[in-house]
Amino acid sequence: MELHILEHSLKVASIEKEGIQICTHGLIKLAFLASKTRCKFFSLTETPEDYTIIVDEEGFKELPESEHISVAEATWLALNVVSGGGNAANSQPIGVTKIAKSVIAPLADHNISVFMLSTYQTDFILVRERDLPMVMHTLSSEFTLLRVVNGETVAANSLGVTNGFVKPKLVPRPVIHPLSSPSNMFCVTSLDPDTLPSVATLLMDVMFYSGGPKEAGGGAGEDSSYIRFFSFSLIEGYISLVMDEQTAQRFPNNVLFTSASGELWKMVRIGGQPLGFDECGIVAQISEPLATADIPAYYISTFKFDHALRRHTEENASVLLCSVSCSLHFFFTLIPTDTVLDVVGY
Amino acid sequence: IMSGSKPDILWSPHHPDRYVICDSELGLYRIGPACSAETKAGTLPLSVDTAATLLAINSDTPYMKCVAWYPKHEPECLLAVGQANGRVVLTSLGQSHNSKCKELMGKEFIPKHARQCNTLAWNPHDSNWLAAGLDKHRADFSVLIWDISRQSSPDASVAAEKIRLSAVDVDSGSVVTKPLYELGQNDACLSLCWLPRDQKLLLAGMHRNLAIFDLRNTSQKTFVNTKAIQGVTVDPHFHDRVASFFEGQVAIWDLRKFEKPVLTLTEQPKPLTKVAWCPTRTGLLATLTRDSNVIRLYDMQHTPTPIGDETEPTVIERSVRPCDSQLGSFAWHPSAQNRMVVVSAANRVMTDFTVFERISLAWSSSADLTWACGRHLYDCTEDGAGEGAESAIEKDIATKMRQRAQSRYGHDTTQVWRNHLLAGGDDAQLKSLWYDLFYILWRPELQGNKQALVYSGIKDIVKVSSGTAESRRCWSGSERPASALRYHSEERSLALRLCGWTSQAGGAGGGPEVDAEPFLLSLEQGREWQRAAAVALFNLDIRRAIQLLHKGATTDKGDLNLSVVAMALSGYTDERNSLWREMCSSLRSQLRNPYLLVMFAFLTSEPGSYDGVLYESSVAVRDRVAFACMFLNDTQLPRYIEKLTNELKEAGNLEGILLTGLTRDGVDLMESYVDRTGDVQTASFCMLRGSPGDVVKDSRVQGWIENYRHLLDAWRFWHKRAEFDIHRGKLDPSSKPLAQVPQQHLSDS
Repeated sequence: MELHILEHSLKVASIEKEGIQICTHGLIKLAFLASKTRCKFFSLTETPEDYTIIVDEEGFKELPESEHISVAEATWLALNVVSGGGNAANSQPIGVTKIAKSVIAPLADHNISVFMLSTYQTDFILVRERDLPMVMHTLSSEFTLLRVVNGETVAANSLGVTNGFVKPKLVPRPVIHPLSSPSNMFCVTSLDPDTLPSVATLLMDVMFYSGGPKEAGGGAGEDSSYIRFFSFSLIEGYISLVMDEQTAQRFPNNVLFTSASGELWKMVRIGGQPLGFDECGIVAQISEPLATADIPAYYISTFKFDHALRRHTEENASVLLCSVSCSLHFFFTLIPTDTVLDVVGY
Repeated sequence: IMSGSKPDILWSPHHPDRYVICDSELGLYRIGPACSAETKAGTLPLSVDTAATLLAINSDTPYMKCVAWYPKHEPECLLAVGQANGRVVLTSLGQSHNSKCKELMGKEFIPKHARQCNTLAWNPHDSNWLAAGLDKHRADFSVLIWDISRQSSPDASVAAEKIRLSAVDVDSGSVVTKPLYELGQNDACLSLCWLPRDQKLLLAGMHRNLAIFDLRNTSQKTFVNTKAIQGVTVDPHFHDRVASFFEGQVAIWDLRKFEKPVLTLTEQPKPLTKVAWCPTRTGLLATLTRDSNVIRLYDMQHTPTPIGDETEPTVIERSVRPCDSQLGSFAWHPSAQNRMVVVSAANRVMTDFTVFERISLAWSSSADLTWACGRHLYDCTEDGAGEGAESAIEKDIATKMRQRAQSRYGHDTTQVWRNHLLAGGDDAQLKSLWYDLFYILWRPELQGNKQALVYSGIKDIVKVSSGTAESRRCWSGSERPASALRYHSEERSLALRLCGWTSQAGGAGGGPEVDAEPFLLSLEQGREWQRAAAVALFNLDIRRAIQLLHKGATTDKGDLNLSVVAMALSGYTDERNSLWREMCSSLRSQLRNPYLLVMFAFLTSEPGSYDGVLYESSVAVRDRVAFACMFLNDTQLPRYIEKLTNELKEAGNLEGILLTGLTRDGVDLMESYVDRTGDVQTASFCMLRGSPGDVVKDSRVQGWIENYRHLLDAWRFWHKRAEFDIHRGKLDPSSKPLAQVPQQHLSDS
């Protein structure tokens, strides 16, 4: 298998709900007028807490500076697992299920924290740029490492540095963060970029104006376990959407792509409280048991920064042996609706 | 490949007059001759001669992304349409009574996960195979090969499929969900084409590489990482050559050396939208970029085999503009030579257009001209039966050089002057040139720096003056002193010798006596009576001049008028106001012969001002120069020579070699001569006589020599070439040994 290190230099940011209006201009440009920017990687995920933005450095210039926006210090690189090479037939389907064992778990063993973004087209594993030598060292045995330079894939030289790297501690990873599973169902879909203008206003409405609890629809007002969750990404020209069933129904017929393998997904939310950015093994914690049970899944990491929660985080951080002061890390997993959550000890 | 409403054109694979335009719908057109006077209703003019008629429209398939025309004769109008959601639908245009067509119509091929279908390609060998290239979806495959004859399979998956697909579709058997082959997992496919080499080889432009899938062993693929993954297309005339593109750049690949492009074409500022090989002409690639009104053509006609050749082949690039509007797409006609239909980016305006073939033109080594245009080769030969005495061919320098080469022109090294006879003996400039060379090379008693001086020409010789003496001589055989002053010096004597007027090289310390008699005798032999008379007169021997004219008048076929001139001459008087002088001054202009003219000009001129002689251009340069050396003073002489030299250099007149000698000045003069005549033969032979260290190594001289050698080769005069090389080797020891003869063989023999 091949591990492609993509050339995007990514920033991860959190926009407070109350501050979203100052960012809409830039976000609309990034989402719907991509040809007017030089941005090649843009993702927006709305959760009850905040908007998480993953964007490359070119796209980042479109966002204003504001107290409502907090940006993780690190620059992130996106990794992409590709079956690649000559043997197309003997490779098994690649999804996070597969990646969980071969990428996420080994990285967790080496204390490398990852940020996940699953899309309709593929899975991106984000790692901090400074962790790259360690990532390459860890994964070089299992993967052919390739780097994308100027749009062309070239062999990535493994740095060959092993000195000073800690030997992995192969400890069992207990599920330490609480899981919750909201009641609404989700679909992961895409659409033809040519039809994007025709649904742009609807998408803007969903992105920026559907957040109010009154509007939540589907009788969510009474259902406390309903969750507001929406994700849009435009990466290298490909659009990916994650939205709940009710939102999907607002789209005209034949615009959204439908898939053969089960339309709807159940969500598992990890972390009843904010998770530290530097904590590793969160993804592994859930992906490993799912992989073992051969359950396909999508993973989306989000980020929240909140003053009110900061102190709380710091307290938390000491518990989690992390030292970042302002980073929060939420984690969402989509699994088939018929999956029994026992698998992950829920 | 088209997207959205950007139009594209497809020619029918079997009907040379039908094509389909696809934008938001499919339109079938028939192309035919334009109707005479008024346009018939429903026809659209495509060019001055042709018009199109809309035959059918099909708007059943929305979200079209790509279309491919079924390659077999029957059903004739079956099209595969790839849609935005990845489904491939078979549809048709117009009425068809073909049962197979009815059975296939509306059949749908549905991938597991919906995503855009980017490209379609029918297998040229097995027309049931249709390859579809799709965008990426996680772990799904991006290249699906559908078998259009396959019925929907009632396997286990159907139950699940029913949830997704309407039950009607599945039950009617018009939906196929199981491809024959699935390739390119976890990847995207942007473009596809089957390789003509084998039915089971498929070339695909994947997300970041070009891959060749071999269906005989799907676990193997050959691939090369590249950005140029759009629009892969095989050269129909050279099955190992493939073009693909990325943004504004086209890459040309050789599948036998599938590591990097053998060639990349000049990058265009706008992204490319279509790249297509011309099906009727080898090595011609047409490209179109976005927002452009021109089609760029790349002619790779002269491409050498790229294997083992590191140098990039030359490509001739040009653009054509079929119409004024911006172009949406174009398509080469499958059989009409260099013809294409283009469609505008907006409003579906179509133009029928034939690319005019580049003309290549070549002169043959003889006087023929050949040019090629398309599949025609034209040969143009000058008609040999010219009207005048000399036909145009005979006058042509190529013909002359050829004849001269055969007559060993340039090779007489003992009697150098004879070379002008070998050249035909009818060219005054060549005659003058070879006599100049003869006088330069013939120097029995010169010593010291004079040896070198003779090469430098009279212009340089007369610049130096080692004590000029002047004398007023008497007319020969008379006591009367002549009015003209004569000048003597060693340099002037040397110049006279180079002019051929004397044979002594300024002997006796440049004494006043000049023996012109041998020269006069030789002129007599050549029956140059007037010239001889003039030379005698300038040597102040009127009696001899009269005698020569008389002789000219009395010998057979002589000119009787010469006696009249002799009579007039005999009446010469140096009295200034005499009737003779008055009449001669006015009547001499009626004389036709330049030598007779200058004789009277000399006799009637004021002492020291001889413009009537010096600037009479019909008189040979050597005679005028000799005259000047005798009668112009030290101030006048160099000025006159300088002026004359410049005129001759400018005109490329070989008589000027007398003045320039074999110097850089001489090469300049020869350069304008070659520019005027193309006679590299004379130029080579002449300049080889110059000093090897200076003149011969001049790049112009080397150029003439090399060109002459090439000419000899082109005429297949192998022996003449060898002879010339030997001649050259003797005169220019620095000339390199011949490349085609190994050196050890030379030393062995």
